[in-house]
Amino acid sequence: MVLTIALYCLVFAMILTLYRVLKGPTWGDRITALDFLTSNLAVLVVVIVLKTGYTDLLDIALLFSILGFLSTVALARYLLNRRVIK
Amino acid sequence: MKTKDLVLGFKPVLGFILIFGFAFAAETKTAQELSIRSNIIEELLILLGCVFILAAGIGMFRFPDFYTRLHASSKLVTLGGIGIFGGAAFAFVSLAATQRVLLTAVFFLLTSPVAGYMIARAGYLQGLKPYQEDNSVDEWQACGSETETQVN
Repeated sequence: MVLTIALYCLVFAMILTLYRVLKGPTWGDRITALDFLTSNLAVLVVVIVLKTGYTDLLDIALLFSILGFLSTVALARYLLNRRVIK
Repeated sequence: MKTKDLVLGFKPVLGFILIFGFAFAAETKTAQELSIRSNIIEELLILLGCVFILAAGIGMFRFPDFYTRLHASSKLVTLGGIGIFGGAAFAFVSLAATQRVLLTAVFFLLTSPVAGYMIARAGYLQGLKPYQEDNSVDEWQACGSETETQVN
């Protein structure tokens, strides 16, 4: 019951954020929304693990959080310096 | 040989499955019952995390400005994610799953403020304008930062 409520909340937040990705007036809104989406996917995978019981999927949550952080930092550095690595 | 005869030939087998299959199904546990032990602390923590993440989504939808949206996203997602990961750490039976969830929570706590800081710094130095009311002050500009032209 709690896990079903959790899934509905997470998916509703992701739909609202998807509107911000598509509409967002500046590029900063889009990067923020994509960061939010990847963090939210990691949380969603943990809730799915709790609902089904397959604990092997926990590695995928860690992978999503690492990928979201790296892509966010790379995009921000690219937009500031026009290059990722000096 | 017709299909009807085929079905009737397997009648004892079907009866065996019908009688004893339910007994076997009642004996075997599902994967969720084997690895998840739900309790009241887990459920409360998960509800807390969900409230925070839902608030973050509504904030992303309704706030007027890039900086306020970044505020909602980075802070509330960190808090909500740590709530849900902590609740999951209470629920797992095996120690390995608990350790992995706690590792993910520590990673969230370390990296989400760094990502928010990088986005905000890049946005300000590229000249994204903050939402201003009558008495609001841009402190970094008052200290004298060199902002470039507006890039959308």
